[in-house]
Amino acid sequence: MRQVWVVLRREYLERVKTKGFIIGTLAIPLVLIAIMGVNIFIALQVAQSDRELVLVDLTGVMGEEVAERLDQVGYELELAGPEADLEEMDRQVTEEELEGYVVLDNLTMAEGVFAYRSLVPPGRTRIALFEAVVRDVALANYLSTASGAEGLRELIRGGRLEFESPLGVEDQEEAEAARVSGIAIGFGGAMALYITMLLYGAFVLRSVLDEKRNRVVEVVVSSISPWRLLLGKVLGVGSMGLTQMGIWAGCAILLLLVAAPMVAAQIPAADLSELTGFLPGPGVLVLLLVFFLLGYFLYSSLFAAVGAMCATEEEAGQAQLPVIALLVIPFVLQMASIEGTSMKWLDWVALFPFFSPVMMFPRAATGAVPWWMTGLSLVLMAAAIVGTAWLAGRIYRVGILMQGKRPTLKELVRWVREA
Amino acid sequence: MNEAAVRLSGVTKSFGAHTAVSNFDLDIPRGTILGLLGPNGSGKTTMIRMIMAILLPDQGEVELLGGPPDMSRRSRVGYLPEERGVYPKMKVLDQLIFLGELRALPRKQAQRRAMQWLDRLGLSDWAPKKVQDLSKGMQQKVQFIGTVLHDPDLLILDEPFSGLDPINQDILESIIREERDRGKTILFSTHLMEQAERLCERVCLISRAHKVLDGDLREVKRRERSGAAAIEFEGDGGWLDRLGIVNYEIVGDAFHIPMNSRVSHDEILAAAVASGVSVRRFEVLEPRLHEIFVRHAGEEAAEPAMTAMGGAR
Repeated sequence: MRQVWVVLRREYLERVKTKGFIIGTLAIPLVLIAIMGVNIFIALQVAQSDRELVLVDLTGVMGEEVAERLDQVGYELELAGPEADLEEMDRQVTEEELEGYVVLDNLTMAEGVFAYRSLVPPGRTRIALFEAVVRDVALANYLSTASGAEGLRELIRGGRLEFESPLGVEDQEEAEAARVSGIAIGFGGAMALYITMLLYGAFVLRSVLDEKRNRVVEVVVSSISPWRLLLGKVLGVGSMGLTQMGIWAGCAILLLLVAAPMVAAQIPAADLSELTGFLPGPGVLVLLLVFFLLGYFLYSSLFAAVGAMCATEEEAGQAQLPVIALLVIPFVLQMASIEGTSMKWLDWVALFPFFSPVMMFPRAATGAVPWWMTGLSLVLMAAAIVGTAWLAGRIYRVGILMQGKRPTLKELVRWVREA
Repeated sequence: MNEAAVRLSGVTKSFGAHTAVSNFDLDIPRGTILGLLGPNGSGKTTMIRMIMAILLPDQGEVELLGGPPDMSRRSRVGYLPEERGVYPKMKVLDQLIFLGELRALPRKQAQRRAMQWLDRLGLSDWAPKKVQDLSKGMQQKVQFIGTVLHDPDLLILDEPFSGLDPINQDILESIIREERDRGKTILFSTHLMEQAERLCERVCLISRAHKVLDGDLREVKRRERSGAAAIEFEGDGGWLDRLGIVNYEIVGDAFHIPMNSRVSHDEILAAAVASGVSVRRFEVLEPRLHEIFVRHAGEEAAEPAMTAMGGAR
């Protein structure tokens, strides 16, 4: 066991001590923070930028209401009456003193059509907002004479689904919040598992390939059995991965503790408790860790086998495609099933060990499957690890000492038999 | 301790249609230095890789330190592969400690021994440097240290001298002799006949996958004597003509006389003395390894590279 430890320690220290690891580990949270910061900054900028728009109201009844409503969504429009000099305003627009102006006239009253004069066409959001507001106000105005206008207006808007639950109103809201946060955690977890298994699997592949290519492995396997070498390697890279994820998790917690109150202060509407409602509980985190470990062992041995049978990185790039497909397929299926509760058969697909991390974790985290199914998938994964390790170990054992071209499938079968 | 350190019997290995090693027998007694000689591509590395169980022979048996080459026996071997294998990004000392620990040395001891060896090979300043920052020759020395660090019973060195300057070649030679004196067995391959001639007690010549000959170097040379002689003297060389020897060759101060069935060594010496010249040296010439090799393997088997490097002097 000491040999495994020696290999593990080397693999771990040699990775953790590199600049690449330090930069990679710190850069990702920093970039995320930077992106978030820039987003918030831009959002604030956009909201605050004074829009030099004029609202020319020729109707005399709609203007104030429209301006007020647009003000609520962040557009400050200067209201002008029928006396406004449209030619002068056209000149201002041309000389870019004014961004543009909106004209409400009789046609607006009758059909909701209004003019928007500017040098640049408005963005989609602006079109949608303005149209909605104008339509609403025109409609209200039109109906204000008729009786029962309120109901008619609702009817025009179209039907609206109101979800009800036998639970009380508060329970219902809670259930809804739990459902949404469950989906978020499930999806986030599946994503994280997918990325980490791919990332650390690739590390194992690289490590095996490098050792094979520079022939160190010939010296090393004269003193340690390939099994132990592989085990030490997988454990070493895995420890490195756990370290990295630990640092990331630490950053995330720090960020929440420091940044969340700041965000809440900026945006009064944001409720902090709503935000924390999306955080996973300790139970889910443990579940995530278990799925990661099992998934990592499962995939890293496959990646090791791929590394052992290749001689160059180009070859490895090709040969790893089937393994990557094993990761991508459940991810695609998971995307498809994220909303759908009807596709029950996918729960059974999620039992396939290679799909389980990405597909079963979100189901288990949201309680979408009974507990025995989660347990069964863990057992199946453990069994699959034994099988994969056996197979991959044999390929590894022969492959690391082979030079020359990549083996054919037939040769691979022979390796497994003979090892 | 009488059993052979390495024993090959009837070992054959083919890669597709190409036979790399053909029906090879070899015994390496313990405590000797054996040179495995042959031109590039003659099968030396394949043979070594089979001894280390990196390749499995198609036919025949490989015995290492008295048994099959399993893990426990292989770990008593120090193996220097032909294509140098080091972790390029690892620090020199860390790398050596890793190799030592892998072979069951306690960490402290591995570190102490590594430092001693680095010191001996003039690399102690480089201990904290990354291996990739070292020159090829220095990397090779580092790898050699990795080979001997765990004090193995058998050293298998594939082309250990290539890439080393003459000074380091000398240091390596003396280390090899020292290890032999400590009872270790050394097998090394080379295509440099000169080196082998200086260092080996036993040689094994290999050409085109086949063993040409093997055995004790002095024994081989004695057996391979052609009867050529060298004579060095002061005075007139006319007596040689009178003896009827015309196809001599002047090498330095000496006259090299090829084997001549008509005139015996005694007659040559007697004629010289009788002619009144003063003889400084008379010697029955031993064949150079290169000549032996060419004689057995055929001129075409000796690659130009080997002729140039091994037979120039």
